[in-house]
Amino acid sequence: MEFKLEAHRIVSISLGKIYNSRVQRGGIKLHKNLLVSLVLRSARQVYLSDPCPGLYLAGPAGTPAPPPQQPGEPAAVPPAGWGEPPPPAARAAWRETEPQPQPQPQPERTAVLDAQWVGGAEPATSVTRVGDALQGREADAAEAAWGSVEGPRGAAAAGAGDPVRGSDVFPEGPARRPSACPPGGEDQRGAAAASPGADCCCAPRPVVDESPAPPAVCPRKRGAAGVGGGPAGCQAPGATPLKKPRRNLEEQQPGRGEDDDPEDMETGNVANLISIFGSSFSGLLRKSPGGGREEEEGAESGPEAAEPGQICCDKPVLRDMNSWSTAIVAF
Amino acid sequence: MGLLFLSKHLPVKESQPGVPKTPADIISTVEFNHTGELLATGDKGGRVVIFQREPESKNAPHSQGEYDVYSTFQSHEPEFDYLKSLEIEEKINKIKWLPQQNAAHSLLSTNDKTIKLWKITERDKRPEGYNLKDEEGKLKDLSTVTSLQVPVLKPMDLMVEVSPRRIFANGHTYHINSISVNSDCETYMSADDLRINLWHLAITDRSFNIVDIKPANMEDLTEVITASEFHPHHCNLFVYSSSKGSLRLCDMRAAALCDKHSKLFEEPEDPSNRSFFSEIISSVSDVKFSHSGRYMLTRDYLTVKVWDLNMEARPIETYQVHDYLRSKLCSLYENDCIFDKFECAWNGSDSVIMTGAYNNFFRMFDRNTKRDVTLEASRESSKPRAVLKPRRVCVGGKRRRDDISVDSLDFTKKILHTAWHPAENIIAIAATNNLYIFQDKVNSDMH
Repeated sequence: MEFKLEAHRIVSISLGKIYNSRVQRGGIKLHKNLLVSLVLRSARQVYLSDPCPGLYLAGPAGTPAPPPQQPGEPAAVPPAGWGEPPPPAARAAWRETEPQPQPQPQPERTAVLDAQWVGGAEPATSVTRVGDALQGREADAAEAAWGSVEGPRGAAAAGAGDPVRGSDVFPEGPARRPSACPPGGEDQRGAAAASPGADCCCAPRPVVDESPAPPAVCPRKRGAAGVGGGPAGCQAPGATPLKKPRRNLEEQQPGRGEDDDPEDMETGNVANLISIFGSSFSGLLRKSPGGGREEEEGAESGPEAAEPGQICCDKPVLRDMNSWSTAIVAF
Repeated sequence: MGLLFLSKHLPVKESQPGVPKTPADIISTVEFNHTGELLATGDKGGRVVIFQREPESKNAPHSQGEYDVYSTFQSHEPEFDYLKSLEIEEKINKIKWLPQQNAAHSLLSTNDKTIKLWKITERDKRPEGYNLKDEEGKLKDLSTVTSLQVPVLKPMDLMVEVSPRRIFANGHTYHINSISVNSDCETYMSADDLRINLWHLAITDRSFNIVDIKPANMEDLTEVITASEFHPHHCNLFVYSSSKGSLRLCDMRAAALCDKHSKLFEEPEDPSNRSFFSEIISSVSDVKFSHSGRYMLTRDYLTVKVWDLNMEARPIETYQVHDYLRSKLCSLYENDCIFDKFECAWNGSDSVIMTGAYNNFFRMFDRNTKRDVTLEASRESSKPRAVLKPRRVCVGGKRRRDDISVDSLDFTKKILHTAWHPAENIIAIAATNNLYIFQDKVNSDMH
């Protein structure tokens, strides 16, 4: 368990570093980013290989239960690795619409969610449409997470009637966020704010919502919950991480140094970052060269990948990194 | 080891306690020239400061051989790459002196993208007594000229002039991390993350690519070049280190493109030490050939290793620089310290190796006696003629009076750049924006 926590923490720190590297003077340092990606890979492997599926299923929906792990852990953003379905997103989806299996572009969601999630570590800004259905801390966290994305997302959502977006959209930045489920209900899922906390299946439904709710929500869920998995399960775990994003942010401040104002960190960019990250150095993620990647991801997703549309597994995430690959080559 | 060091503290720019340090003043490289008479430093602001050793004077025997500022110039300026919308930092990454071939001194300085050849000349005489010009250079009224005189050279105050002789630009897509002058004194190489180029010192509009490890698909990238150096005697040999901890010795006679190494020096990883950060701490941050050319010295995050060119399987010596940090790698990762690139240095006789650490500590290892010492570069220790006192970091267990505990180490005070005089026991230590020069006043038995 400690390993998983540690792995989570490391993943969030690593993603933050990659994000910051984009704004550092002198351009992206290839060597440092390569090393960070290696750490990310190791942490991800540990995280995914450590089975504790039932851990975060807890409590009734909406009951924020402190994560068993670590109240004191500042930077441990729960959602961990690549394949984790971004809980926040799932949550957001739930809030807004009826839970339904969506053939959304998985990768984007995951990526967005992850990104958001990292972004969610940012201080809360008031948030948007997602908020109402949220309960308690979840709502706060979600708002926090969403806040920064609001702008870009809003634009994207506004414009996008199309919930199914190719991953190419991804790297495009805030303006083109894949809006599998744009808050606001453009999505066919409907804007039903009903939210069923219950349905938080964060895991299975990565709703692409740029505003992923508290990032921490329930990464692990993915595996445990399955499609449409217990909302309750989702909810609770989701609740717990709520605190984390803020704390995470604050804790990370000193460590990060150059990122002086977290609020400025656009989760939109982070989403891109995640997708970018996923594609760049994906050779590292492969256990075997060439086509190994898919197998690896698939294997790791394991039983979770019950349905293609449900789980944000690595596969979809990594599939959509094409634009970044191009960027890397250009760089 | 019997080292007693005199210290002379030379702030490149005096830093006042309590006043925040200017980032531009942080020293980013230190290099002695081939005789040790000159010492060049580069900083983050793109400036180069050259110090010269004063000749020993009978009048002031105590101040023999101290270094004073000789010249200061702006080598690189910040630039902007409009195509990629990237700012190019002016920070001087490396300085390398050319062997002196005439009265002038030459050095190469490089930032992330551009290498420049600078010529440093002295002027201590000037001609006086022109017939047509007066002392200020204005034309004389010819009617006042009644006789002819031969202009003579008269001594003047020493003036050091520095001029850029060559600019080697546009050779690198990635960030340049090393330059190395070949023993043939005609060529030099520059290395970035993925490629190494060979230049001729007189030709700036083209260079030859001799190593290219860029994969066809950048997604397959697994390692980058971290440092490289020419062999001190064999002009066809060079070595480059990678982020995976391996060294590759290449022979330029074998092929035009030296992607295939002649020798690969790699130590198998110790599985018991595996952690999330194993790859990071095995990345080699510096590689230096010994003066003899028989050995190589490498520095990774926690150790320095001596390799014999004749043995590829493992280093012949491994020294722990600060193994107490092994349990703190996660925090060091968070605060970015784990990415610090420490350099290493040989002494003139290749018997002692030196490298920096945190808390303004630096370490020396005597290869013969196997003894090591930790010293500190600080204001307190740098009073003139003060003897450096060995320091100790305690890791639990019994603690002596002056020990520093691991938790009270200051990780913002790091000594990344050190240099050792090519012949004598004089060392230059760069501690953030201060330069410390220590001299050994006792004839040590290190040789």
